[in-house]
Amino acid sequence: MSWWRRLIGRWRRSRFEREMAAELQFHLDERVSDLVRQGLSPHEARRRASLEFGGFEGYKENCREAAGWMFLSDLRADVTYGLRRLRQSPGFAAAAILSLALGVGANTLVFSVVNSLLLRPLPVAQPQELFFLQSDRGPSHSFPLYRDLRDRTGSVASLAGYRISPMNLVAGPDRALRVWGYLATGNYFTLLGVTPAHGRFFGPDEDRVPGGHPVAVLSYECFRTRFLGDPDIVGHPIAINGQPYTVLGIAPPGFHGTERFYHAEIWVPMMMQAQIEPGNPWLEHRNTANTFVVGRARTGISFEQIASAIDIVAADVDREQASTERTRRYRLASPGLIGDALGAPVRAFTFGVQALAGFVLLVACLNLAGVLSSRGADRARELAIRLSIGARRSRIIRQLLTESLLLSVFGGIAGVALAFAGARLVSAWRAPVGFPIALDVTIDLTVLLFGVIVSTIAAVMFGVAPARQAARTDPNTVLKSGGVAGSAFRRRRWSFQDALVAMQVTLCCALVAACFLSLEGLRRALTMPLGFNPRGVTMAGADLGLSGYDQARGQDFQRRALDALRHLPGVESVAYANSVPLSIDQSRTRFRPVDQQTDSRAEPVSAIYYQVSPAYFVTMGTRLLGGREFDWHDDAGAPRVAIVNGAFARAVMGTSDPVGRRVQYGRDRVEIVGLVEDGKYEVLGESARPVVFWSAAQSYNSTTTLLVRSTLPEDQVVRDMQRAVSALDPALPVYGAGSLTEMLRFALLPSRAAAAALVVFGVLALTLAAVGIHGVVAYAVARRRREIGIRIAIGAGPAAVLRLVLGRMGWLIGLGAAVGLALVFVGANLLQSIVLEASPRDPKVIAAVVLTIVCLAIAACWSPARRVAGRDFFPQI
Amino acid sequence: MDRSSADLLPGTLDLLILKAVSLGSLHGYGVLLRIQQITQGALSIEQGALYPALYRLERQRLLTSEWGTSSNNRRAKFYRLTTAGRARLRSEAAGWNRLVEAMAAALATRARET
Repeated sequence: MSWWRRLIGRWRRSRFEREMAAELQFHLDERVSDLVRQGLSPHEARRRASLEFGGFEGYKENCREAAGWMFLSDLRADVTYGLRRLRQSPGFAAAAILSLALGVGANTLVFSVVNSLLLRPLPVAQPQELFFLQSDRGPSHSFPLYRDLRDRTGSVASLAGYRISPMNLVAGPDRALRVWGYLATGNYFTLLGVTPAHGRFFGPDEDRVPGGHPVAVLSYECFRTRFLGDPDIVGHPIAINGQPYTVLGIAPPGFHGTERFYHAEIWVPMMMQAQIEPGNPWLEHRNTANTFVVGRARTGISFEQIASAIDIVAADVDREQASTERTRRYRLASPGLIGDALGAPVRAFTFGVQALAGFVLLVACLNLAGVLSSRGADRARELAIRLSIGARRSRIIRQLLTESLLLSVFGGIAGVALAFAGARLVSAWRAPVGFPIALDVTIDLTVLLFGVIVSTIAAVMFGVAPARQAARTDPNTVLKSGGVAGSAFRRRRWSFQDALVAMQVTLCCALVAACFLSLEGLRRALTMPLGFNPRGVTMAGADLGLSGYDQARGQDFQRRALDALRHLPGVESVAYANSVPLSIDQSRTRFRPVDQQTDSRAEPVSAIYYQVSPAYFVTMGTRLLGGREFDWHDDAGAPRVAIVNGAFARAVMGTSDPVGRRVQYGRDRVEIVGLVEDGKYEVLGESARPVVFWSAAQSYNSTTTLLVRSTLPEDQVVRDMQRAVSALDPALPVYGAGSLTEMLRFALLPSRAAAAALVVFGVLALTLAAVGIHGVVAYAVARRRREIGIRIAIGAGPAAVLRLVLGRMGWLIGLGAAVGLALVFVGANLLQSIVLEASPRDPKVIAAVVLTIVCLAIAACWSPARRVAGRDFFPQI
Repeated sequence: MDRSSADLLPGTLDLLILKAVSLGSLHGYGVLLRIQQITQGALSIEQGALYPALYRLERQRLLTSEWGTSSNNRRAKFYRLTTAGRARLRSEAAGWNRLVEAMAAALATRARET
């Protein structure tokens, strides 16, 4: 029941009361007028009228009842009575409310994440018309292709291009920061339909000439935290990458750009790309796919029509460019998660977790249903008396349901409160990486509604069956047999509780299996060969290009930085690279396999590449399987060389011994001088991917990750590194300083989150089930005291008695476990979407699950079994 | 009220109200006057008892009501018969007449020699 419903109810009721009073008063007034006309004094007339009318308040009450308002006062009575019953058994009430709170809370929290990541529309105008354009090659497109698509599909959709990009922002003296923003085309803001909080956005006229529009828009958060919320900043220049950019306006609060997981701080026109990403201009490169495209459908045009229009235009463009590549096919995805690139795994993961959270709630409900059903049997006498003195069965069901509803209201409120706390934690959490990953997990109306629905469903699930059953009581039998439920009733309830036990065990089994799988996956992830040894390695990043270094000065800086770091205490080796494996920043290139070099139609092999300095492999702890590392002689003057991993050797070279061979890359014949072990590069769950390492001295990249292997504690090394780099250039922002192990924590984040969630779910479900089964067994023992006593008296031994009491329970638990395991086998794919590297068919996992269920059975049945088998159990016959 | 008037039998009040309202839309006080008029004051009703009955009939959708102005220019709630109410009146009246005839016939029987 929601508060507004009650509010409306109250309003309607007060209106009813007003009208009723007015109507009765009218009657009196008319009667008084008539009596006065007959010659009575007004005073006398009023007295007579009142007398004739009768008991005013009494009739009002009758009217209320006649008009159906009695339902409300009945409800109040039910609620009062229910509250009193809950107060009488505080232990039961607390346990029930707590288990419901955990079930509802878990579901609501998970749903709030689903809501913020997948369901809630972006804060833009008509979000349902918005789409993200992706092809079967990936989520990004080259800028020239974007331009062609935009110009030729204007009749069906408008398209805007953007790129997620880091920038060095100077916000005050000596405060250079590396912040993340967007390069965006001039139509970006108009297409999205957002309104600036201050000033204005840039438009197409400020995105025409390459390098010609040094203007910027700030996010509200950036405006507030970095510029103290002073609107005067609008119209003034700020320094980005050492150049002045005029601030045109401030985006509205809550608008962080077109991604849901990322809070951008600055928007700069796309035409400034060469200035924002110095040394890497790609606006005119058809082979560099760096542009994300968001679009808005024209009114009445379906997404399918747009996709096929884009397919046609893209094919035309390919023909004009005489492209030899396979033609792409386009698909429109919902915006916010970079299409399917992030959307698909995020959807699978969150839905998997939501399903498991649902299981926990289901266990809680089954459990409560069991407890309520035994309590209902205990109340058989009370109900029988109420029935025999004339209560209708529907009235009794209503009363019992009110009690369950009360439980679910309390449990729901507590659950939503838990979810609130959880959501705050999730929103406040920032991934320990140099990238502003942020989730806006808020409990909005949708989430609240979800909580209310879930609680209500729960109440119906655990309340209806026990209530119906209890109301089926035959008063005659119950009252005759001295308060114990009648025999016909007994058989029914027994089988109902049987089903509850079996279902609880089934769900528990599935949850426990998921829990063990995730733990096993995590264990494997922690011990799996990464292709490098993170222990003792610290790193610090700097973007030389963003700080105005050209290639010559940049290379000089990189060499000087290595020299400075080498002299820090405890250092074993130093190196730098453009990026390291398992960090967010991974780049790919393409190679034609050696044996198909002449076949121009062959599919190229995609390889991840790194630009690394000498001693990189020693520093990272990557094993060199053959050949040599780079040295400082592998520079621009020397023939181009590369080091590859095993997967590259197999996929591109077709050999396991590539050292000394050559591979074609663009115009160059590149000699392979070294072979290193395979590792993990993009995600932990990947299978071996081809990787090529270029010599940084031959292939300059201004993005520099300095690496130090040291014997000293990591936090000390991090401080030393930062100090050493600032000594070289105080104005250079250093980002992502930390240990490699810390960075790996980020790579492990999804599996950790899943493991944590599942362990909580699993323990929760186990506890609930143990308590529930214990209750059912203990109740069964108590109820069959006489029978057991008779059996013992006529010679049944403890074993026979135990079999009598526990045999059925054993069967039920076994049955439940078998069904649960079968469920795990069937649902293996769902589980694999959230757990890493572990198969549900792993015998170790199955053994662990079976063991846990056996423990559960023992824990649940131990004390009742002892009571039965013990000598002192000699109940009165 | 008239001292010689008879008390109502259970169930007859609803029928009387339906009959009274069937002759035209009335407010509560009007229903009372109409009943007195058509029964020539032979039946007494405690006036307040009228209203629970009106509310009950309205909830059963036999009557509908709307607010209007009385002849004394006061705001009053007027009741009207619905189609269902009309049907109910017909069937109840028929039932009542059968009962009255049966009762009358029964009471008219004289003692025979046994």
